[in-house]
Amino acid sequence: MSDLVLVLAVAHRDARQELRSRAVTVATVFFSGITVVILSFALGPDPDDLRRAAPGILWVALAFAGVISAAQSYQNELAEGAFEQLLISPIPRAAIYVGKLLANWLTMFLLGLLLLAAIVILFDLPLGRGGPLLAATLASGTLGFSLIATFYAALTANLRARESLLPVLMFPVVVPVLLAAVRATETLLGPGQATGNPALAGPWLQLLVGFDLAYLVVCTAIFHFVVEE
Amino acid sequence: MAPAIELRSLYRRYGRNFVLADITLTVEAGRTVLLKGANGAGKTTLLRVLATRLRPSRGAGRIFGADLAREAQSVRRRVAYLSVLGGHSPTLTARENLHFAATIYGSPATVVDRSLASVGLGGVGDRTVRTFSSGMKKRLGVARLLLAPSDLWLLDEPYAALDEEGKGLIDDLLTDAQARGKTVIMASHALERCGRFAEATLELEGGRLRRADPEVQHV
Repeated sequence: MSDLVLVLAVAHRDARQELRSRAVTVATVFFSGITVVILSFALGPDPDDLRRAAPGILWVALAFAGVISAAQSYQNELAEGAFEQLLISPIPRAAIYVGKLLANWLTMFLLGLLLLAAIVILFDLPLGRGGPLLAATLASGTLGFSLIATFYAALTANLRARESLLPVLMFPVVVPVLLAAVRATETLLGPGQATGNPALAGPWLQLLVGFDLAYLVVCTAIFHFVVEE
Repeated sequence: MAPAIELRSLYRRYGRNFVLADITLTVEAGRTVLLKGANGAGKTTLLRVLATRLRPSRGAGRIFGADLAREAQSVRRRVAYLSVLGGHSPTLTARENLHFAATIYGSPATVVDRSLASVGLGGVGDRTVRTFSSGMKKRLGVARLLLAPSDLWLLDEPYAALDEEGKGLIDDLLTDAQARGKTVIMASHALERCGRFAEATLELEGGRLRRADPEVQHV
């Protein structure tokens, strides 16, 4: 059985589990939606303020929702020993990690698209020529976040204080990804000279892709240490 | 031919406590062995070590000649584990759980329905596992066991939670395993029932193998 088939099987199963456990889907969509609404109310009615804050609001909402989603991705399986069964089956650890990563990434990317559409409409933001680059930023930013979240969620899955430990452990590591994602989004959405100037997003996007590659290699290589007991 | 199981002074620790201590044991291929002992004696831990879920803290072990720690992936290809909890994804249906297992083991998808029917779950294949009783989950675990092309079965309380018909299924499973030359290690408190199939009995006491009879270490 090729590793790619195994990766896709794990991803398909996890994505299906994610969709079935509606509690998580509802919680993440509702939570991120509330975050966007509250922050936009707090900033007041000035359209310039809202546009300036839009990239930050987008990524704050996504980051918090992503933590909830990642933590839950293991809890569904731990209760009845499904994760243990997965670990004693003949699947390479790296394939388990990449499969789970794909499912988490897909969820977060779709949520990101939904939030982006809501923010663009609510804040009346011009998309201009930056649409494809914005999608690329969203894809690479959510991938970087999911790489870290999937890894640390496995690390904390068996701990009693996992809900509080997961963000404490992962946020310091994920900060570079979030900063690069916010800056890239800002150059594509924000007000001022940078608005609609895709050229300025390039370096930040390259940085994001660099982070993604580095995290992918490191997390895949050491995932087996995290799940061994 | 390498023995099915070969353990040499194997220890397993949780925190500061040794749950398994100085386990030395050889089980030849094709044997059916009953593992007995009081609650907390270390039966499940020993099965989990053999299934490569837990690494030995000290000592060494081999399954069909493959090292438990260094060649765990080779071991996993030859071992199937029936846990007490069942080990299924509760949000997926019985059929989806088995399809996933079939993909992992490289079995054709057509065997899924046959496996479900063979454990009496043919009519509830599209129900999510969280709606199942403990006995139904155990039956589903048996169906998954049938999908795995493994040589060593590790059964943790195989008769627990099952009704008489379900227990009959386990009887048939063990008869079939013996006919096909599989090695079976079953941890159980159902001593009489398991005793009908067991060719040898091992007893764990406080994490150690009882050594009343020197032959007990080589079955």
